[in-house]
Formats: sequence, structure tokens, C-alpha cells
Amino acid sequence: MHIPENYLSPSTCGVFGVATVGIWAVAIRKVSRSVPKDKMPLLGVAAAFCFLAMMFNIPLPGGTTGHAVCGTLVAILFGPWASVIAVSIALIIQAVFFGDGGILAIGANCFNMAFVLPMVGYGVYRLVRGRSGGLGRELVAAGVGSYVGINCAALCAALEFGVQPLLFTDSAGAALYCPYPVSVAVPAMMVGHLTVAGIAETVFTVGILAFVRKVAPNFALLPGSSAPVAGGAASGAEAPSLAASVAPVAVLVGLLIVATPLGLLAEGDAWGEWGIEDLANSLGYTPSGMASGWEWTALMPDYSIGSLPDWVGYVLSAVIGVALLVIVFRLGAAAMKTPVDFDARQA
Amino acid sequence: MGAVARAGACVPDEASAGLTVDGGAGSGSAPAGARLSGAPAEGAGRARGGDLPDWLVDPPRYDPPRDRDAFVARSALSIASVLGRFRLDDGRPSPLSPSAPAKLILGLACILLTSLSRNYFFVLVMLALVLVRACLLPSRKLARVASVAGAAAALTALVMLPAILLGQSHSALLVGTKVLVSVSIAMIVALTTPFNEITGALRAFRVPNLFILTIDMALKNIVSLGRIALEVLTSLRLRSVGRNRDKGASIGGTAGVVLLKSKEAAEVTYASMECRGFEGEYVSGGRGQWRAHDAAWAAALAALVALFVYLQSLV
Repeated sequence: MHIPENYLSPSTCGVFGVATVGIWAVAIRKVSRSVPKDKMPLLGVAAAFCFLAMMFNIPLPGGTTGHAVCGTLVAILFGPWASVIAVSIALIIQAVFFGDGGILAIGANCFNMAFVLPMVGYGVYRLVRGRSGGLGRELVAAGVGSYVGINCAALCAALEFGVQPLLFTDSAGAALYCPYPVSVAVPAMMVGHLTVAGIAETVFTVGILAFVRKVAPNFALLPGSSAPVAGGAASGAEAPSLAASVAPVAVLVGLLIVATPLGLLAEGDAWGEWGIEDLANSLGYTPSGMASGWEWTALMPDYSIGSLPDWVGYVLSAVIGVALLVIVFRLGAAAMKTPVDFDARQA
Repeated sequence: MGAVARAGACVPDEASAGLTVDGGAGSGSAPAGARLSGAPAEGAGRARGGDLPDWLVDPPRYDPPRDRDAFVARSALSIASVLGRFRLDDGRPSPLSPSAPAKLILGLACILLTSLSRNYFFVLVMLALVLVRACLLPSRKLARVASVAGAAAALTALVMLPAILLGQSHSALLVGTKVLVSVSIAMIVALTTPFNEITGALRAFRVPNLFILTIDMALKNIVSLGRIALEVLTSLRLRSVGRNRDKGASIGGTAGVVLLKSKEAAEVTYASMECRGFEGEYVSGGRGQWRAHDAAWAAALAALVALFVYLQSLV
């Protein structure tokens, strides 16, 4: 679902960029009010879940691959606006350091996966869960919410791909950017996401949520969103055993990092994420807007390094990505501290 | 110091009414008690209650103009932050961390290997290790490491800008990452080791006594003199009531006090060292500094060197 560089026209990227900056501004304001400083690093760990979930590629019908995002999971644990920030930063790190998704397309990618996905997913979750309900009902609600959320995000991405040949063609009628119209893009994206990727998202979300609720109830915050769980300690209040409750989650992140090479078992690219040569081979021509487009040199393109085995690059990418996310959110938490004004006039 | 609270200047009305604050109740032209209880003086007849003068009934409204003491506050803050960095109990080692000499060797070796590496993968492995270690730092230290290392990397990117424009972005990326990793390692070692342990560890490297003594004394004096400067600035601030225009002039006094105190401190320290039998031989370090699990860290370093050699052979 990561839209690569040059698949969308610069004007489309600009529109989504402006929209996404506005969404980020609202999200930052909401999060600075709702998430306490001491929970910000935990939001970084939750963003790490998203980062890792996106590395597990799953083969889809038709020879392409898909992945989970876990945006709904973060929305359930920390609130939908916090999820906007967490998934956005994970996507930015993926684009800048690992070349997964385009730099110019960050706005569109964040709109799909960091805004539409958690908002829709969280809305459905709240609807299904209702006012009451135990852990079982919460897990069902999370499963349904995450399934609907990722499919809405995939639909948005498909529509963004699909409108390109309608809006941007050269004098001969050939597409300048993504060549597939809505009638091709929507079925191609949705078949994979309605079947395998949606189920993968559900499995990831429900599995991790059940683990967090049972093993580390203090991990989540927002009294409104923390469910009545075994142990009954889930609340946003100061938890003396915060570090103790983070430890199992850290172990889970470590296990996911070690398991990331499983994502390499799925061969082929995700739909709409081919390189320009692959696209030209299957299409018969190279869309001129893509041929002359801008390309970013990432630190580790496609999570791989030179001639070394792919799994080494994958694990290393996972470690670097997770550490970067935790550092970014810890620095954000440190910056949230209210400065003491020693010159303030005394009342 | 030059900063004196002039309480009398704050109450001009009372002074004109025959009372001086400095002199106390008994030093006025007439006893205060006589005024309050005796026949009303001029103007006092209009007082509410009949027997209290106007000036006493009025609620005190002393609203001093805002004082300009930003420089004092800023100096105090910067001194306090330096002291915070030098705090000797800072960076207390965890049970698993290597001893100070081992940490210095590890840090230097990691910086050396990163700099010498021509294989980008090795630099990325080091980057991953540094990032994971940085994740575990307390947030104040993490912010410091990130700001210094980030600034160094940004400066490198600026210097390497011509290479990027000429199409050699890979070498710019390599150098930028190396700088980021090296500066981060140096910062992490410095921030997680108390200063006195670092100077002690220098002894293990056979650094001359005089050199270590000078560094050690300088660091300790920075701490104690910083504390004195902080106290002087605080007292200057506390004793300034209202707008005190003389404060700028008292900066010289602050520096003078610190200088005198430093001379005193140096003499007293040297005298106390002589009393304890100091003969110019700096006996710190030795085998007692090393810890048992330094061996595990040495093994880790050996593995890193092996990886380095293997990856260099691939280039």
C-alpha cells in the first residue's frame, strides 16, 4: 500500500501533502493534551509495532504481496490521533531510510495509512464494542475495526492510483504517471486486501492487543479506551510498575524483529509498488512522467545491503527502524516538558 | 556585590509621615503609640473608625517595577546546567556496564573501526548498536546525544553537499553516517561515565601523573567554583528589591568573589593533600579498576573486530 515515488503526479502529491500537514497539526495539538509525557515513549514502542507489521509481507492472489499496518491497534491503545502521529513517523522513517514509499508521496501514504486507516478502524471498533463488554468483545471489535480500516485505506490508495490516468495523459493519450485506471486499480488492490491482507491485519491487531491487555495492562493509556481487563489495572494513572509492564512488550518487539525475515518468504512486489523497469516490462512503455521523475537515495533501499543475504538487511533494518522510532518519541516526550520561566513576574 | 536592599526607599509616604522604617518604631519624631491612641493628628480625623490615620488604613500597595535580571537568571541557569553535567554521581554504572578503562577502550575501538570501515554494512551495524544503546539512555542524556550528534551529522552533510550535487551521494551518506556514529559513541561514553572515573581510567593508560592531576583538579574546581558562583548570583538576585540598576556593576564583584574563593580553594586543597601524604605521585587505577565481566565485553569487541575484518575482505 506504500505508493512509490512518481506513481502520483506532483500536483496530487502536493494536495495530499497540504491536507496531511493540516491533519498532523491537529493531531499534535490533540496528542499533546491527551497523552501524558511519561507515556510518549510507549507510543514510540507502539509505532515500532506498526513499523514491524509493515515488514511482514504476505503473498496475495495474483502474485503480489501485502502487509498489515496495525494503525487500528495503536488507535485502540493510545487514541486515534496518537495513531496518526505514530503511523506517520513510521512511514516517514520507512520512506527516508529504507526507500519504502516515495518521499513526495509521503503525504498521500500518510493520508491513507495514518489517517483514514486508524480513524475508520477506531470508529468501527467503538461502534462494535459499544459501552460495555469484556475482553472478548473488545477483541472482536478490534478485529472488525482493523479489517474495515485497512480496506478503507487500500480503497483510498486504489482511487489515488486510479485517477492518475484520467487526469494526467500526454498528447497521445498515454498515461504520464500510474497507468492503471480505477477499473483496474480498485479490484486489483481490494481483492488482496479483502482476503489476505485484511485477515493479516486482524490477526496482528487482535493478537497483539490480547497480549498487551493480559500481560502488560499498564501499557495502554486513555481511561476511555482501556478495557476492563484481567488485573483491572488498566488506566492512564501513574503506574508504579510501568517499567515492569513495558518489559514483556519489549520482549515481543524483540521477537518480531527476529521474525521479520519471514516477510521475505513472500516473493514479488506489492501491487502498485513495482520498480520503473518492472512496470515498463509489463506495460510495454515507460510513462514519461515516471521516467523523468525524481528519485531519493535511501540509506538501505528495500531493506537490503549490497550483496549480503536479504535476511541480514531485514533484521538490521528492523533494529534501526525500531530504535529510531523509540528515540524520536522519547525526544518528543522530552520536548513536551514545560519550561520554567525564572523571569516570570511574581503575582 | 553592590546589591543592597534599600527598604527605606520603598516607603516614602511613611517616612514623610514621621516614621522611618529603618529606625524602627521608636526612632521617629513621635512615638507610634502616641499617634495611634492619642489625639488625632492632621488628616487623621477622616479615618474610618475614627482613630486610625489615613496612611495606616490604606491597604499597602507596593508594586515594584519589573526588575531586569535576565542576565543573572541566565548565568545561573547555565552554571547550573554545567554543574548538572559534572555531577559526580551522574552516570552511575549499571551492574552490566564495563569498567571505566574498558569502556574507554571499547569506545575508542568502536570509533576507530567505524572510521576505518569501507564497507557500509559495518557502519550500519554500528549505527544499529549505537541507536539501541541510545534508546536506553535517560531522556536528558538522550536529548544531549541526539542534539550534538545530529548537529555534527548535519554539518557533515553541509560540507559534503558538493559531493551530493556531483552525484556522489553514496559517499556523502557514508561519511555522514560515520560522523553520526562516532560522535554518538563519544557522547555516550562521556555521558555514562562519571568524570572522576574517566580521569582514573586514564591512569590505566599510563598517562603522566601531572596531566591527570591537572585534569582532575580542574574538573573538581569547576564544580566547586560553579557552586560558589551560583550562590553569589542567587544572593544578588534575592537582595535586589524593586528595580536595581546597580546589578550590572556587581558582575565584577561576582567574578572577584569567585577568583578569591578559587585561590583559597586551591591552597586549602593542596594543603590537605600534603597533610594526607601527597608527594606528587597520583596513585589511582591499577588492577582494581577492572571488573570481571570486562572479559565478556572484550569478547564482544573481538567479535566486532572479526566482523570488521570479514566485511573489509568483501569490499
